[in-house]
Amino acid sequence: MLIKVSVAAAAVSVAAVALPALASADSSDDYPIPNRILKTTCTVDQYMAAARDVEPVYYERYMIDYNNRPPDIQQGARDRIYWFFSLDYAGRRQYSEDTATNVYYEQMATHWGNWAKLFFNNKGVAARTTDVCAGYPPSDPSVWNW
Amino acid sequence: MKRMRLAVSVIAALVPAVVLAAPAHADPDVDFANELHTYGIYGQKDYNAWIGKIVCKRLYNGVDPDAYKSAEFISRNLQKGSTTEQSWQFLGAALRTYCPDKMPVLEQAAARQ
Repeated sequence: MLIKVSVAAAAVSVAAVALPALASADSSDDYPIPNRILKTTCTVDQYMAAARDVEPVYYERYMIDYNNRPPDIQQGARDRIYWFFSLDYAGRRQYSEDTATNVYYEQMATHWGNWAKLFFNNKGVAARTTDVCAGYPPSDPSVWNW
Repeated sequence: MKRMRLAVSVIAALVPAVVLAAPAHADPDVDFANELHTYGIYGQKDYNAWIGKIVCKRLYNGVDPDAYKSAEFISRNLQKGSTTEQSWQFLGAALRTYCPDKMPVLEQAAARQ
């Protein structure tokens, strides 16, 4: 009798472990895109100028990668990130969900896998950069020239 | 007093460290790290080398128009608890190691005191 109960209990716990796995592809309010990026009111230029000051090595590496892409890919990445920043919170949250549930959703990523690394890949970078980005000029094309 | 202390820092940055007498390595990043150690600046060698090179880049393309801005940038990216003097020492070492042609920037800052 005791054995039967424990087998049943074991079956229940197996089910409990298995269930969340089904939903693992979903996005959250902090993944794959950091919450700070979903919520910031900074422009792309403000964010990048701030990153250049407070996350200089991360920014440097992103820009090296960027500079190694052909001009049309660079243009595509710029257009795409400006488009993303033009979205409101709900729009960004939906985009986060779309990219989390469909690896082919973001076409830009098929041309350049790390196209938005400076913005999406690191919560610490996003946090430190959005802390100070509002203090920079809203428009500053020099941030792409590095 | 603060001004006085800053003046001392700027001049300290100008004077090459004793470590320069040590044999130079093929890898400037090692020499740079060794010089930083004499100022009590530790941390990751590669990270410090990145910051040193970026300091030069910022001077070349005008993001930092003078040595004061450079020192501010360095201070922001050194370990917490680093002193103003260490920022200026870091700046002097970075210019000597990675962009000696930018040394006049430091001399101008010293002259402005």
